[in-house]
Amino acid sequence: MAARPLAILLTLLLAGILVASLGVGSTDVVGVADGVRGALAMFGLAEPLEQYQVLVELRVTRLLATVGVGAALALSGALLQGVFRNDLASPSIIGVSSGAGLGASLAILVIGGYGPRFMIENAVGFGPVIVTLAALVGAASCAWLVTTLSTANGRISVPMLLLVGIAVNAIAAGLLAAIQSWALRDYDVSQALFSWVFGRLEDRSAFQVGLLWSGLLASALVIPFVALELDLFATGEEDARALGVNTGRVKLLAVLAASAAAAIAVSVAGQISFIGLVVPHVVRRITTASHRAVLPLCLLAGPVFLAGTELAQRTLLGGAHLQPGVTMSLLGGPFFLFLLVRHRRELRAW
Amino acid sequence: MVKLLKCEGASYAYPGGTPAVDGASLSVEQGRFVCIIGPNGAGKSTLLKGMAGLLPLDRGDVTVDGVAVSGLGSKARARTLALVPQFLDAIPPLTVASFVMGGRYGHLDSWRRADMSDYEAVGAALKAAHVEELGERLLGELSGGQRQRVLIARALAQEAGYLLVDEPTSSLDPEHQLGVFNLLRELARSGRGVCVVTHDLNLASQFADEVALMRAGSFAAMGCPTELLTPEVLEPVYGAHFRFASWGAGDGEERPVVVPWAAQ
Repeated sequence: MAARPLAILLTLLLAGILVASLGVGSTDVVGVADGVRGALAMFGLAEPLEQYQVLVELRVTRLLATVGVGAALALSGALLQGVFRNDLASPSIIGVSSGAGLGASLAILVIGGYGPRFMIENAVGFGPVIVTLAALVGAASCAWLVTTLSTANGRISVPMLLLVGIAVNAIAAGLLAAIQSWALRDYDVSQALFSWVFGRLEDRSAFQVGLLWSGLLASALVIPFVALELDLFATGEEDARALGVNTGRVKLLAVLAASAAAAIAVSVAGQISFIGLVVPHVVRRITTASHRAVLPLCLLAGPVFLAGTELAQRTLLGGAHLQPGVTMSLLGGPFFLFLLVRHRRELRAW
Repeated sequence: MVKLLKCEGASYAYPGGTPAVDGASLSVEQGRFVCIIGPNGAGKSTLLKGMAGLLPLDRGDVTVDGVAVSGLGSKARARTLALVPQFLDAIPPLTVASFVMGGRYGHLDSWRRADMSDYEAVGAALKAAHVEELGERLLGELSGGQRQRVLIARALAQEAGYLLVDEPTSSLDPEHQLGVFNLLRELARSGRGVCVVTHDLNLASQFADEVALMRAGSFAAMGCPTELLTPEVLEPVYGAHFRFASWGAGDGEERPVVVPWAAQ
């Protein structure tokens, strides 16, 4: 399918999913029509609902968080797959999400009263910003570590990339477990940390959603400056350099933007794996492999996938709603195995 | 001023290795066809990448029309020097025309938009490399000979004054080997400086204006094919025996024919 019709289709699909989602939640007291009216009222375009206006506003905030997180993770995955020239790369597999989670957890621990006194005092009132910045530092550090260790003579080794990802994920998981066990008796802090493990899109503040969208916008701004370049990377980094691409700058921009997008999503919603793996892969399959189409389309397809899955499971499971991190792992894990089987020959050659 | 690509005392060692190129000097004038020959591991391809500005030389300079290549920005470098690689890391799922458009990267504006001049340059490059009819075909569907011409077309789309070509005939049959070397000579005659790394001594003999023989990272000898392709020059460098003959080439000149021959 050509990129433009796919963009229109995804936009319509996303709009449909969002409207339907306004009528679905843990309490089914608001229908779709009231949900839409309440949402319009938030922007002064309709009369507020007499009852349940607050409930609808919570749902709108949840949906804005869902769309932002889906877009950020899909964009992050598409950028990483372009830089590493392999569709097995994604923020959760190569450890970027874990790094973000570790940074954010450390920040939560400090804000929760477990850091040096001067840090706690300075952190008061800046919680979400500090958590996001700490997530960014964690994500960028892991991205740098993974890139450095898996590159030899200017070429990235895919098995090495996956193995370093395993190591980074294991280290981050160990440290996260240590942080959680340390704060186990502190109810507030351990609850805040715990919600990270399964991912969380509900109860996000308007400030967090604003932060998420600002970070997403900043990351998406790199698209025009890396998309064609990542297409030229397909034949090899040295070939791209011979054509005039400043490969160092493109890699830095793309990895930084991918880290920032993953970090901002993780800092707002916790660990939601595999969107960055599945979405870019499916988009490339449906349409072209050109990053000039894939990167913007991921900004639509990521939210369609996350919000669509959320809507489907809320409709099917009702009150027994699973956390998004759980559903994404259940869907994405088998998909990753499918990709590994498809790449069997390449990996066996190692 | 004579326009030339000049490399003086170039040295480069891969990290942790011995020098692959060690004090090599070579000039390629515009309008000339220069072939670099030499045994495996002599440093030919490394030197070519050094001349293309893709390797940071440990010592020595590469200048193009008097300007240091190391001082050029990446896009300006691509507009001045075009490298045709021996092979690509992967064959992208692109049509020939889209692939050749990659050669225009150094000419695009800061929003990476292609304008009419870019499409015209791609059309001219496809025509010059005799692959006009392949424009809409997928790169993966082409034969080795066609793909080599398409790689040359992409380099031509860069509109650079110098073409550096790495072993263009290594996997081609004799007909396509002759076709590619004919094309490269045509391009030299149309005013470009063409420098080709090759293992094929007879193609170098027939087509080159100048042959440069590399050994252990530097040049052991250089000159016109009749001066250079002799037993006294080749046998000590290659450590092999050759049989020599001489036949008239297309330009009416007698050119050496060299065949490796097992010692009796």
